[in-house]
Amino acid sequence: MLVTARLRPPDRTVEVADVERVADLLAKLEVLQGTVLVIRDGDLLTSQDRLRDGDSVEVRFAISGGA
Amino acid sequence: MAMRCKRCRGPVVIEVRRHNAAFCRDCFVHYAGQQVTRAIAKHHMLAPTDRILVAVSGGKDSLALWDILLGLGYQTDGLYLSLGIGAYSERSKQLCERFAAARGATLIVHDLANEQGYTIPQAAAQAARAGTAGRSSCGVCGLSKRYIFNKAALDGGYDVIATGHNLDDEAAVLFGNTLRWDTESMARQYPVLEATRPGLVKKVKPLYRLAERETAAYCVLKAIDYVIEECPLVAGNTQMRHKETLNQMEEASPGTKHNFLFGYLDRAAALLRRADGAELAECSRCGMVTQAPDDPAEAPVCAFCRTRARLVDGDARPLPITEVRAG
Repeated sequence: MLVTARLRPPDRTVEVADVERVADLLAKLEVLQGTVLVIRDGDLLTSQDRLRDGDSVEVRFAISGGA
Repeated sequence: MAMRCKRCRGPVVIEVRRHNAAFCRDCFVHYAGQQVTRAIAKHHMLAPTDRILVAVSGGKDSLALWDILLGLGYQTDGLYLSLGIGAYSERSKQLCERFAAARGATLIVHDLANEQGYTIPQAAAQAARAGTAGRSSCGVCGLSKRYIFNKAALDGGYDVIATGHNLDDEAAVLFGNTLRWDTESMARQYPVLEATRPGLVKKVKPLYRLAERETAAYCVLKAIDYVIEECPLVAGNTQMRHKETLNQMEEASPGTKHNFLFGYLDRAAALLRRADGAELAECSRCGMVTQAPDDPAEAPVCAFCRTRARLVDGDARPLPITEVRAG
């Protein structure tokens, strides 16, 4: 089971093994759930959504420094 | 058991942990609009006849705000201020222009370099040379935006300026001000600032009930293309550090940021505002409203005119900046 995660910003792609759900992926990446969106094929995923072997997801940070 | 939409019981696309809720796409879009409607109603932010100038940066918050206000039927124009941050500013402007064109909305564009003679990278260079003595580049950026938004709204005859400050922004600013017990700044932190005298335009923050993750989700769900990359000058700024601290607390205890901000607004803000005795005067250089100097014999000069003079007349060569480009 291997998932490709594109983290941005900045823009970095990593492969993560043995993750069943989105929450597992974020835990392995050491990313707080409340600070990102996880997007697969244009759709938002929740922390409990299952990942599939070979999935490519975007982990998009939603924190910005000022408005 | 699979999560269900709080409103329609359908499959969900996003959780909002501080409300112990999750939503499907349509109900989340409804929820976002409802939070803005509640903010507007509670603080009498906007009237149906108001001409509203929405300050847009190309980021998720300001474009989500403009989209929601247009959806609610308000008369809005957008205002984009080019800060001169290389390709980052170009891309931001382009996204604002595309957003406006797709909706048949009007976008007004101002340019800091052409109109005021300096850029934010120049401010960053001067801040680096001045060390802790000068205003940070983020400080100059915020000051420039506040001044130019107000002036553009006055010149254009707008009733209100709407900005995309969200719950996280407001909680982080409050956190920073509280750590310093900066009661003067706290007294001025509120979702609406009335035009208390000629020369000032009313300012509102209709997104203060929405977290920034929610405004980002709104943009994804509504297919609004926004600048994902972070400003190349913002890394490590104080507000980012405060946000990181608050997000750690929020993860352990959802609702922390909401309770911190809303508790302040409901119970403490009025006390501080009553105690705020800042006297205002007209700037002797530009005529805009500013804080009166302590010495009545001294001619008032606003922070913008002082900063601009330092940047334009002083040594303000830009530092090389590393652009973060979209992947």
